[in-house]
Amino acid sequence: MKNELSSVVDALPGLVWTALPDGQVDFVNRQWCEYTGLSLKDSCGDGWQQAIHAEDLPQLLECLKSSSSCDAEVRMRRYDGEFRWFAFRGNPITGASGALVGRCGLSWDIEDRKRREEFLGESEQTLEALQANQELLDLAQKAARAMAFDWYIQQTINTWSPEQEALYGLAPGTFDGTYDSWRQLVHPSDWPGVVESLKHAQQTGIISAEYRVVWPDGSIHWLAANGRMFFDDKGQPFRMVGFTADVTRRKTVEEELRHSEEALDKARSELAHVTRVMSLGALTASIAHEVNQPLSGIITNASTCMRMLDADPPNVDGARETARRTIRDGHRAADVIARLRALFSKKDVSSELVDLNQATREVIALSRRELERNRVILRTQLADNLPRVTGDRVQLQQVILNLLRNGSDAMSAVDDRPRELVFKTEVEEGDRVRLSVCDAGKGFDPQTKDRLFHEFYTTKDGGMGMGLSVSRSIIENHQGRLWATPNDGHGVTFTFSIPRTIETQEVIGMKDQKSIARNG
Amino acid sequence: MSTRPLISVVDDDESVRESLPDLLKEFGFDAQAFSSAEEFLASDSVSQTSCLLLDVAMPGMTGPDLQQELKSRRQKIPIVFITAHRDDTVRPRLLAQGAVECLFKPFTETDLLAALNTALRI
Repeated sequence: MKNELSSVVDALPGLVWTALPDGQVDFVNRQWCEYTGLSLKDSCGDGWQQAIHAEDLPQLLECLKSSSSCDAEVRMRRYDGEFRWFAFRGNPITGASGALVGRCGLSWDIEDRKRREEFLGESEQTLEALQANQELLDLAQKAARAMAFDWYIQQTINTWSPEQEALYGLAPGTFDGTYDSWRQLVHPSDWPGVVESLKHAQQTGIISAEYRVVWPDGSIHWLAANGRMFFDDKGQPFRMVGFTADVTRRKTVEEELRHSEEALDKARSELAHVTRVMSLGALTASIAHEVNQPLSGIITNASTCMRMLDADPPNVDGARETARRTIRDGHRAADVIARLRALFSKKDVSSELVDLNQATREVIALSRRELERNRVILRTQLADNLPRVTGDRVQLQQVILNLLRNGSDAMSAVDDRPRELVFKTEVEEGDRVRLSVCDAGKGFDPQTKDRLFHEFYTTKDGGMGMGLSVSRSIIENHQGRLWATPNDGHGVTFTFSIPRTIETQEVIGMKDQKSIARNG
Repeated sequence: MSTRPLISVVDDDESVRESLPDLLKEFGFDAQAFSSAEEFLASDSVSQTSCLLLDVAMPGMTGPDLQQELKSRRQKIPIVFITAHRDDTVRPRLLAQGAVECLFKPFTETDLLAALNTALRI
């Protein structure tokens, strides 16, 4: 009989135990042993206590002292260390005399029920809080254009209010509460950011994310979610509570602000750029002045020197002094050239991708007034899809500006035909890009062709002969060529051709650039 | 009291102040150099100067400023401008204001002598 009873007890879907009047356990069933991982022997006496959560043990011991039946709810440790909630019921066993001879009891798993109660309790609390502050909340929600959310992650118990759904452009009651559906609503570009925010929330408990959502009508709206993440005993997130707010207006303003700041930055750098390009004109005038001063000294001193030597008797000391000054002024002129060279040295060469069409348009725009004043008719034939070249945009624009000015100047005396200046860009074979400037000016004597690019050689009345020399140096620094061809009719075509890309090593090689001055 | 005409050179460039008076002396003139218009105006030479070789661009008072100042003082000194800025629009303006000549640096001995002769004939 005892064996039969034992079999029944072992088959019960609960943990069964018996104890002596002093509370010492003398029997546990097989379910107990299987759940706790403790053997019968280990569980007897006080051994069973190690299976009870330390926080719940005092309450249970108190309960077991009772002379009548007792009930308790305690967390019991499973063999794998996980605690689950159990209901504990103990009944006193009395002998025929009515004296207490022991206790027996049954414990059963109530973990799921506990969880539900917890959720319910919290929900009720939330509900109460919401109800208590309903008016204030409504007001706050309207003011913040925000809606509360409360999401039980594991259960996917996620019921959205119609207002919450409205934030996503959804009709009331159409959101099914699943994570995947939510994911579908978030803008794909922003999803990684949302995931990142959720990961952050898993570490800190704080939810803070801003993301775009795509409404069913295709419109895009910015939402900001802020709240708390709650975790279960295992540290797994199970609930998210917080507010979602529509921040589209703020984001739009921010975006506009950013755009205007970018535009301002761009304008600033463009201005700086224009100043640098235009400075070539100022530079040329300044160079002319700087060179003319010592040249003037040289000529005056040399004249004086000759007169002193021609005198009878010759003023040798005076001649020596003026000759010394002549040499000094000659060095001064050389210094000006050296400074000019330094202007185009490596430290000023930047390497970037340059669109020659764009660079040309900018130079033309800068020179518009000058061209109008000189009654120059400008035409452009800029190639579509012109590959970009690697180089220094400012320097290349200085070359373009120089060719424009040269062309314009060459036609200043032309009155019997249109003063037409044609800018043309084209792709050359062998991965090169070519820009040519064709004028209808007076042209040049073919015999002087070689001297065109020499410094101080000029065909212009007011020219200094620096522009083409500097231009050729710049183009050569870009691994290119600059040359002039007489037109069939009137004028000249200046052309430069540079590779669409140049190797890094060659860019570095600019440091060892050839001097601007070439002996001619 | 020298009988040779006094030519005053006003230029902020030192090499001009150094070289030009020597050449002028070789030509047979008396010559003095001043580094600014203000310095020239403060000197005793204003009333004795037969011709002024005057730079256009100078810090402080410019050449044309001095031209106007002398005009307002009724000092009729013939002026030959000398400038390193080859600006074709400046020359006609200066001549219209009464300058004898405007020479662009570097100028030749011949051009200088021609301008001085014109100035001294006035």
